[in-house]
Amino acid sequence: MTTTTNQDDPILLVHAYVDGELDPAHALEVERRLAGEPALAAEHSRVVALRRVIGERLPPEATPSGLARRIEATVGLRHTPTRASWRAMAASVVLAALAGGAGTWLALGPGARDAGTDMVVASHMRALMAPQPIDVSSSDRHTVKPWFNGRIPESPRVVDLTNEGFPMVGGRIDVIGRVPVPTLVYRHRQHLISLTAIPSAGAGHAPARRAIAGYNVLTWSDDGIAYWATSDLGSTDLNTFAKAFREASAQQ
Amino acid sequence: MGNVISDDDQARFRSVVIPHLADSYALARWLTGDRADAEDVVQEACLRAFRGVGGFAGKNARAWVLTIVRHTAYSWLRKNRSAALVVVQDLEAVEQAQASRGAAPDGDGAVTPEVALIAKVDAARLETAISELPMPFRDTLVLRDVQGLDYREIAQVTGVPIGTVMSRRARARRRLIAALGTDDP
Repeated sequence: MTTTTNQDDPILLVHAYVDGELDPAHALEVERRLAGEPALAAEHSRVVALRRVIGERLPPEATPSGLARRIEATVGLRHTPTRASWRAMAASVVLAALAGGAGTWLALGPGARDAGTDMVVASHMRALMAPQPIDVSSSDRHTVKPWFNGRIPESPRVVDLTNEGFPMVGGRIDVIGRVPVPTLVYRHRQHLISLTAIPSAGAGHAPARRAIAGYNVLTWSDDGIAYWATSDLGSTDLNTFAKAFREASAQQ
Repeated sequence: MGNVISDDDQARFRSVVIPHLADSYALARWLTGDRADAEDVVQEACLRAFRGVGGFAGKNARAWVLTIVRHTAYSWLRKNRSAALVVVQDLEAVEQAQASRGAAPDGDGAVTPEVALIAKVDAARLETAISELPMPFRDTLVLRDVQGLDYREIAQVTGVPIGTVMSRRARARRRLIAALGTDDP
């Protein structure tokens, strides 16, 4: 944490610790002090309780319907959606998919992977604009997982992360290139996380973050599946999500 | 420039601003406390963003858009509800004075009953408590706990150093804990 004035205030460090904003060295230091100082531990438990109720109880603020349209009218936008770049992008991925066969285009190198990431983000954006960001709505993994069976060759790993603060909203099928792929949708406070899972021939790798159009995208791969987690959540919360998902799915 | 709008700016506006309308509206709603006012603020902010979108070269579109929304909301509040904007420095001075009298107001050690009370609080009371926070504390709290921005992004949106974000953040929570961790609503 780079701060000039408040470095030493233990209360501030506890708050930053709860927010996941401390580097490992400072986090360890805070954990050590929490163990030895009851006053700090009490502050810690109050902050955790507060964060939890804010995350769980506040109803999501619905954006008025038609707001986007009214705003486009206000700024004088013409309704000629520019699709050229999208088409070019889609075409390149389709080529990659055809060259490599469905499901293996990921192994084709960084170019295809970048285009793939763009398409995953586009699917997430599209889902946010639709009346429903999901095709199947359920917080029960025993409902969501079977729903994918029969629609796509391989049903994704579905884990329950409610206790970690990421309740499941449901799932949908996105089409990346010409390949239908499963996407699970989780929620954290009012923010949705789209988690797209694609079989990958590449070796496993730890989460790497990119920011595209204001969205954070974490990609990692475990056991022959590449994952894309897309959200407008901050990178710390998205990292927490990725960590929780990987831990829970490793235990399955 | 007049009304000449380049296709380029249109495309940029669509990709930079439009995806963050929901967050913009939510922030404006928290800051103005009213849905209709929030929509006015978002409209005005989008106009400003549209004029400036040609010059946006940053990486974080969401933080950029929210900065404009927050700025617009503050101008709007100054014009329409100046009483809502208590001068921050005064507040911070008062709290500093209180803090220097004792390290933590109720840091007596034991795990307090407040935790149980906070855990039981309902949405309406939580919402009221947040909307009663003085402005700079409220927007820092909303940006972090409701919208999930990290400290660096909040510093960018609110135009203050990270250290100030940290202390406002802690004070906002402190005030909420004090408001919610008590039996009388």
